[in-house]
Amino acid sequence: MLSQQETLLISGVTIPLVCFFLLALFGSRMGKPLAGWFASAGIAASTVLASIVLYQWFRLGRHDEAHTFLWSSIGDVPITIGVNLDALTVIMFFMVSFVSTCIFVFSIGYMAGHSDEIDGQSKYHRFFTFLSLFCFSMLGLVLSNSILFLFIFWELVGLCSYFLIGFYFHKKSASNAAIKAFVVNRVGDFGFLIGLMMVFLYLRDLSLAGAADAFREQYEAGGPLFAHSFLGMSLATWMGMLLFCGAIGKSAQFPLHVWLPDAMEGPTPVSALIHAATMVAAGVYLVARIFLLLTPPAQMFVAIIGCITLALAALVAIVQTDIKKVLAYSTISQLGYMIFAMGVGAWVAAMFHLLVHAFFKALMFLGSGQVIEGCHHEQDIRRMGGLIRRMPVTAVTFLIGVLAIAGAGIPWLHVGGFRLGLGGFFSKDEILAVACHRACTAPGAIPPILFWVPVLIAYVTPFYMMRCWWLTFMGKPRDRHVHEHAHESPLMYIPLIVLAIGTVVSTYAVFRPMVEQAAPAGFLVPTFNPEKHGGHEAGTMAATEHPVPAGLPIAEEAHARLAWMVGPAFLVGYALAIGIYLRGLALATAIATRLHPLHTLLVKKFYFDELYGAVFVGGVMVLKSIANWIDVYIVDGLVNAAGWLVRLLSLLAGDIFDRAGAATSPAPAEEETAGRGLGFLACVVVTISTSVLLASGSYRTAVWVLVAAWLILGIDGIVNDLARGAWQIAGAVRRPQTGRIRNYVLFAAGGAAVVLMVMILL
Amino acid sequence: MFAIGLTHYLVLAALLLCLGVLVMITKRNAVGILIGVELLLNAGNLNLVAFSRYQVGDLSGQIVALFGILLAAAEAAIAIAIFVNFYNNTATVDVDRADAMNG
Repeated sequence: MLSQQETLLISGVTIPLVCFFLLALFGSRMGKPLAGWFASAGIAASTVLASIVLYQWFRLGRHDEAHTFLWSSIGDVPITIGVNLDALTVIMFFMVSFVSTCIFVFSIGYMAGHSDEIDGQSKYHRFFTFLSLFCFSMLGLVLSNSILFLFIFWELVGLCSYFLIGFYFHKKSASNAAIKAFVVNRVGDFGFLIGLMMVFLYLRDLSLAGAADAFREQYEAGGPLFAHSFLGMSLATWMGMLLFCGAIGKSAQFPLHVWLPDAMEGPTPVSALIHAATMVAAGVYLVARIFLLLTPPAQMFVAIIGCITLALAALVAIVQTDIKKVLAYSTISQLGYMIFAMGVGAWVAAMFHLLVHAFFKALMFLGSGQVIEGCHHEQDIRRMGGLIRRMPVTAVTFLIGVLAIAGAGIPWLHVGGFRLGLGGFFSKDEILAVACHRACTAPGAIPPILFWVPVLIAYVTPFYMMRCWWLTFMGKPRDRHVHEHAHESPLMYIPLIVLAIGTVVSTYAVFRPMVEQAAPAGFLVPTFNPEKHGGHEAGTMAATEHPVPAGLPIAEEAHARLAWMVGPAFLVGYALAIGIYLRGLALATAIATRLHPLHTLLVKKFYFDELYGAVFVGGVMVLKSIANWIDVYIVDGLVNAAGWLVRLLSLLAGDIFDRAGAATSPAPAEEETAGRGLGFLACVVVTISTSVLLASGSYRTAVWVLVAAWLILGIDGIVNDLARGAWQIAGAVRRPQTGRIRNYVLFAAGGAAVVLMVMILL
Repeated sequence: MFAIGLTHYLVLAALLLCLGVLVMITKRNAVGILIGVELLLNAGNLNLVAFSRYQVGDLSGQIVALFGILLAAAEAAIAIAIFVNFYNNTATVDVDRADAMNG
């Protein structure tokens, strides 16, 4: 059966699910702090299990075999289920559960100070219910070994994101943001789904390993994926690009990045957990998992999308004034770096950046949550300032995050084999080194602009992060009220300290080697294998004869050149930020006025929301108007015209009959009214007797009875009494027709039950 | 391990169906009723898939189930449009309040 490590990981996934069910059922009875502690205990247990596996894997070098089980089969395509047991899964699992634990504990402190009542009902437990469900989905996503299950958990994660962004659903902006996130993600997921169908159709295997093997076979045999092309690109390229569409949505990449800043409407711990550390990284994780299905043109597409995203988001982050929005845009920008890294083939660097980023971004988000909570829900950094005296722990830990994201370090210093630096110093450096290698030493592999833009943005990142930190914590307090209110609570800053330590540790220990272990053999990847470089033409479909691990150490020369280019980036960025904001906002305002058009463009976020509003919302509105017009004037018009026509005809006919004098019916006689009941009775008798006679075959007698009845009652009498009879029957039958849907269902169900009984008994 | 056979699926589908009917009878919230309807439909779909797997042996049942899912989606879209209009007129989604046609 299952190996030990598999069992541990599967239990690690199941615990949050059990927590979810228990909280959903009994959460409201657990009450305010208990529900939070319960959920935290659950995820902490998962973390312990994850650490055991990590310890076994990394320290003891014990790698259990993974099992797959046949779950079902569609046609001849097997659907397997199992744990994707490799170094990346283990380390991702550990990261997700560890960061989640910190955030859960933080949430208890955060939610303690928040009113969570809506319509007199506490929603406190709901928060932790959904957080637990989220953890289950995210851990499941990390664990799944087939693209299908990846997709299922992917959707679950998106659903939890929807719930949690809209946690304050009574606020219009929050519910709108939740809908926006969900709908925008749906656009990306649609592409993912089509890609999934292509995998199903062409590769006939949905497991990650099987799909990669089938892809390779098709490449070597020149299968349909490579033989056919659509719009000038092979189907294989399309498949990779469509699968990547899912990542565009979930990781908030360029055309679909609009949802992430709005998602900051959710509670801050949610922003930290979902919209910074883990869920948005799922897109990058997906690309890492389908990396072997990407052809060079598809990789180029990935790199271009990542490059555009990292540049746009970093520029917008410069002018944001909401502390959470700054962090949101910096998240998008960093995700852009990861996607870009994937695109240029820096698999290891991308995953390494993802893991370190998760720590320091969660740290900074929780720091911002502490600030917002402490400052009486003030989110505008222009009104903060000088908070370092009020919140020293937050300020220092936040600074560690700022250093890590900016890639602070000392480029040329090696202390006993260690290079001093933090987070991005290593991961971003490696991304850029790979890009540099491909852009500079292998001309034509990627356009040089794809290297220069990320390098330039590496100067922007420290600037906006330091701007945010300086405006928040340093300088003079700009708002007395906010400053006086500021305070810290231990339940919130202990997770901060843990995450700060985690940031430092993750930079050096475990993470990088673990990721390196997991790096797939770079098939079809025209990347950086310095030794073998001349062997294949980069950028074309030439496969390397011997697949190289995507993520070999880059030649020293690339690093050395890069050290000159981006090594001092953080110093320059910090100096610029401090220089501008040292004396408050005056200088910044002056610059903004000088660069007015540019500033407005950035404040308006490049007008993406307006553009999408005009094109998509406006387009739907125009379609709606057209549909409405067709409905009112054409469909309704036809029906009305038919009505008018009949009316016209009847008018004409009435006119003719009036003149002929045939349409004037005599007024009902007195005795007819009196004998109504009798007439009805006679009518029924006549009908029954006639039918009996007809049934018995004596047609002649039946005709005679009818004629006699006609003579006695008169035609009008028969017709009128028939109508009356119908009316009376209707009156009686109407009574059970309550118009209540539930009664109908009851009758229908009762009827079905009776029929069933009859069928069973007979 | 005991083998899961057709009967298990049928029992599950029957349970789902009964639950769906119960939900439809007891819920006054229109959305709740819609959820009940979905349960009914999915019970039917489950039967289709189970029969196609164990009795027919090809994909026909799954295709019909896909149609069922599609119909359910269309039905949900229309039903929700009706609920929205109903809510706009009556400020409630209590179906017992929908008695305007009751003569």
